[in-house]
Amino acid sequence: MKSTSKSSSQEHNLAQTGDTRVSAKISRETISTLSVAILCLVLLFSARLINPALGSWSQIETVLVLGFFLVVLSFGQGLVILTGGLDLSLPATITLGGILATNWIGAGNPDEWYLLPAVLAVCGLVGLASAIGVIWLRVPPFIMTMATSIIVASALLGYTRGTPRGTAPDMAVALMKGDILGVPAPIVVLIIFVIVGWLFQSRSVYGRYLYAIGTNIEAARNAAVPVTAMRILPYVLSAICAGFVGIALVGYSSGATLRMGDDYLLPSIASVVIGGSLILGGRGTFLGSVGGALLLTILGTIIATLGLEFGFRTIIEGSIILIALLLLREELFQKLRSLKS
Amino acid sequence: MSTVQSDPSTMIRSNENPLIRFATGAGLIVLTYVVLYALHAFQQPRALTSYSIAALFNNTAPLALAAAGQAIIVISRGFDLSVAGVISICNVTLAVYPMDGPGGAMASVAMCLAIGGSVGLVNGYLVAVLKLQSIAATLATMIICQGIALVILKAPGGAVSEWIVYEMTDRIFSVIPVSGLVLGGVVLIWLALKRTSFGISIYAIGADETSAALSGINVTRVRFLAHVLAGCTYGLAGFMLSAQTATGNPTSGTPLLMLSFAAVALGGTALTGGRGGVFASIVGAATLILLQKVLFSSGVSSFYTGMFQGSILILAVVFSSLLARLGDTK
Amino acid sequence: MRKKIIKSTAAVLALSAIAAGIPGLASAQDGKKFKVFLSLSYSGNAWQSEAANIVKALAQTAPYDEMVELREVISGTDPQAQISAYESMIDEGADAIISFPISSTALNRTIKRGCDEGVLFFMYDATVTESCAYNVSYLSSGFGENSAQALVNALEGNGKIFLSRGVPGNSVDQRHTDGALHIFNQYPGIEVVAEYYSYWDDRTTQQETAKALTANPDVDGIWAQAGEYGAIQALLDAGDRLVPMTGENSAGFRLALADPDMQAKGLTGVSAGSPPAQSGYAFKLAMEILTGQRELEPMNIEYPLPWVPADAVKVCEGDVYEDGCNVFPPEMVPSSFVSEVLNTDLLPEVNVESALNGTPVPGATIQPLPAEVTEAANLPGINCGSCEAPENLYELTKVEATVQP
Repeated sequence: MKSTSKSSSQEHNLAQTGDTRVSAKISRETISTLSVAILCLVLLFSARLINPALGSWSQIETVLVLGFFLVVLSFGQGLVILTGGLDLSLPATITLGGILATNWIGAGNPDEWYLLPAVLAVCGLVGLASAIGVIWLRVPPFIMTMATSIIVASALLGYTRGTPRGTAPDMAVALMKGDILGVPAPIVVLIIFVIVGWLFQSRSVYGRYLYAIGTNIEAARNAAVPVTAMRILPYVLSAICAGFVGIALVGYSSGATLRMGDDYLLPSIASVVIGGSLILGGRGTFLGSVGGALLLTILGTIIATLGLEFGFRTIIEGSIILIALLLLREELFQKLRSLKS
Repeated sequence: MSTVQSDPSTMIRSNENPLIRFATGAGLIVLTYVVLYALHAFQQPRALTSYSIAALFNNTAPLALAAAGQAIIVISRGFDLSVAGVISICNVTLAVYPMDGPGGAMASVAMCLAIGGSVGLVNGYLVAVLKLQSIAATLATMIICQGIALVILKAPGGAVSEWIVYEMTDRIFSVIPVSGLVLGGVVLIWLALKRTSFGISIYAIGADETSAALSGINVTRVRFLAHVLAGCTYGLAGFMLSAQTATGNPTSGTPLLMLSFAAVALGGTALTGGRGGVFASIVGAATLILLQKVLFSSGVSSFYTGMFQGSILILAVVFSSLLARLGDTK
Repeated sequence: MRKKIIKSTAAVLALSAIAAGIPGLASAQDGKKFKVFLSLSYSGNAWQSEAANIVKALAQTAPYDEMVELREVISGTDPQAQISAYESMIDEGADAIISFPISSTALNRTIKRGCDEGVLFFMYDATVTESCAYNVSYLSSGFGENSAQALVNALEGNGKIFLSRGVPGNSVDQRHTDGALHIFNQYPGIEVVAEYYSYWDDRTTQQETAKALTANPDVDGIWAQAGEYGAIQALLDAGDRLVPMTGENSAGFRLALADPDMQAKGLTGVSAGSPPAQSGYAFKLAMEILTGQRELEPMNIEYPLPWVPADAVKVCEGDVYEDGCNVFPPEMVPSSFVSEVLNTDLLPEVNVESALNGTPVPGATIQPLPAEVTEAANLPGINCGSCEAPENLYELTKVEATVQP
């Protein structure tokens, strides 16, 4: 007998009382996405209490630009988590994208039109390697992607002999520093990315396949979902997203370092989970992850302005993440629903 | 993450064939460790002196204990990221509030267990009662604990009580390392616990929570206690770490986070829950530590040690899961 | 199924065989050569690799190329790993260990054991409190307080400033910041409006400065530890205006200080900070002791604080620092290149290629070091165990206050 239970709260559903037909029309995922968005706005505006300069358009701009990296990463990580995996190789793949962009391409290179996609393809290969390990060698995703991360990081260390060189490719700089019709380019690209990502995950057949795999892999196989290909896809996409973030980071700060991806791993997982995804797979939306990513970025921006010691700031940051998790949890929605009716 | 486990009692079935039991239990990782150790001794004869053996135990103890606690949570199908936070808090507390002499050491151990237990309590409440996902809840508690550690001690400093530093890293009769005895004690406690209904329940809720609940196990209570137990173990890890480094460092727990998972996986404990063991994870941790030394003695270029470590991790996990499935198909 | 198991077994055994077979150099002793280990903890940033490269280049320069067998070991950020590495090196019969220690105290007992076996321990930049080890560091030379005073002078005693720090929970960051705050607190007109941790990284500095700028767009000056070039980029992104800044010595920052466009936007300041050349100095000192050319008891040795105000920046034409030049042009080095890696007095045998690649300069020979070594002041908990800080701990050595509090 297959184990399909993803959350023991489903047992409690059996004892549910009250007429939830009306409120049940609003999917739980819409609720969680909205909640995250509301939390973001609350944080933004309460920031004004701390410092009048906050909550302004320029802060929102900064948040969107800084949050760009995390949003892109949470798309890939979200897909991997959706199918029941976890991608710990993000830091190394980000660095891979950045180092290749500076070493192979560099500034003023006329061939960057096809070299940049080549860099992304190499990153995709790393994702493919992780996927092969997970699917055929049956190595748990946690371990496989951790191992891939260690191997790629080591390879980069050897390749650069510890000293990354080169300059940022022009297109990367244009992406992060340019303007499109007066709006900073990263924000425009961010909006386009969010729309495309949302369409892919929630509105395309591939997205449906991924949800199916994450919920019950045997049932998906029986339903003629191309399971193997669909299991490989998230890892490859996640790696490509990470590579893209590496290139963007290089454009942002005009250079690559060997540790540039390290700070993004835990936040990428946190964004996805805060956004309503289940770590075991099968649930969650990209919009929720976007909300989670922006929430974390806003939080970081506000915390940075508090004049407290670092220890206290860290405690506050952790507490707010905890509060967000508490507010966004399953049972609360159930209670709200049964209240409504 | 689909597994073919169904009914919890079959998970704990005793397999007739002792070879299979050996292979699917801690046997494989123990064998790997012995082979690796033989290799190490061959490369570096000084490794067989009692000083070196004690030094190796001392070096291994913190990670081994962290892995032991992590294993408990992983078996119950969770993730515990707060290991880094508990260790950091214990470490800085011992360094900022040292208590002298053997009495002080006992009080310090009690303090570490209390710190770890309280964090475990909070985690247990969030995960078992409030039903938050363990990876998310423990991430939040880890960040909070990091902050607390930084508040207690801003920058590396302080001094751990001398008695702890000297005695816990010493050898009894100049041969038996004290840290080895601590590890042995933890293993014995675990082996005893495994046979109680509590121990079996941890495996059961990790293998199939619905079935476990339907067969009468109080899932909430078991999971809650598992987190408390793990927290206490992390506290002990912090204690042993403080004994080795002799000072406080507010970020001392961070390197152990990912390593604790690697150790657990290396020991053959499946991250999907329901199988594996604390002893295997401890040996997994020991293997990771020993691997550093073997790679050093093998003259592997510093840049590429990562490639070896990553590859060996994959190989070990593949191998042990192959054997595990061999055991299943019988 | 069986095939798979056989294959996996073969793989594991093969791997072990490779590991064993790799130059079984472990115990091979060449009677004449000194066994010197270079033990790093962090790796992968420009500072660390330049420092390592200098030592590697020196070890391949005559006559050391015949005398020294150098091996680099990278332990990562886990103190346990570096303790284990030290133990292994001592067991291998190291003559000297040149190291960047990850902790000022955790390694002490292993170091003591090594000293008892006759190993020379030379730490560079970061220090340890174990008294039998030699610490070669600029840490006591007052980067924090001197740069803070220079900033105060530039702001004429009034203004809002950012503090861009290093890694939280790290004693180097703490010492620098304590020194800086000691100066800033004397001037009521100076207000620290934002303090953030940049982890000594350009990108993190850029992001954190950007966040600070949203709340404080009217900042007047920035005091920065390493990663300072990121602050300039953040300022340019935010409003194309620059402010007086003090920082460390990345090529990007130095070139910006000398750039007329940047100056026109308001940039001025001083480039000081941590010199990777300390590693080379430590190595040469160790070698001079090993070869009997110098007698020196374990002590804390101070490396002079680099100090390059904006008007003293000069771009080099060749591949060494000659004629007073102190930064390499962008064609030669990236903006993250740490400039203070060469030193004409102490390290005349290496050039920019050595710093970038670890290659020796063809035809160079090791030159003797100046006989004098400067003793470093006591920094309790940083370079000495139970000791007292001197009264003049924050005494200014590079600038004088042009503005009175």
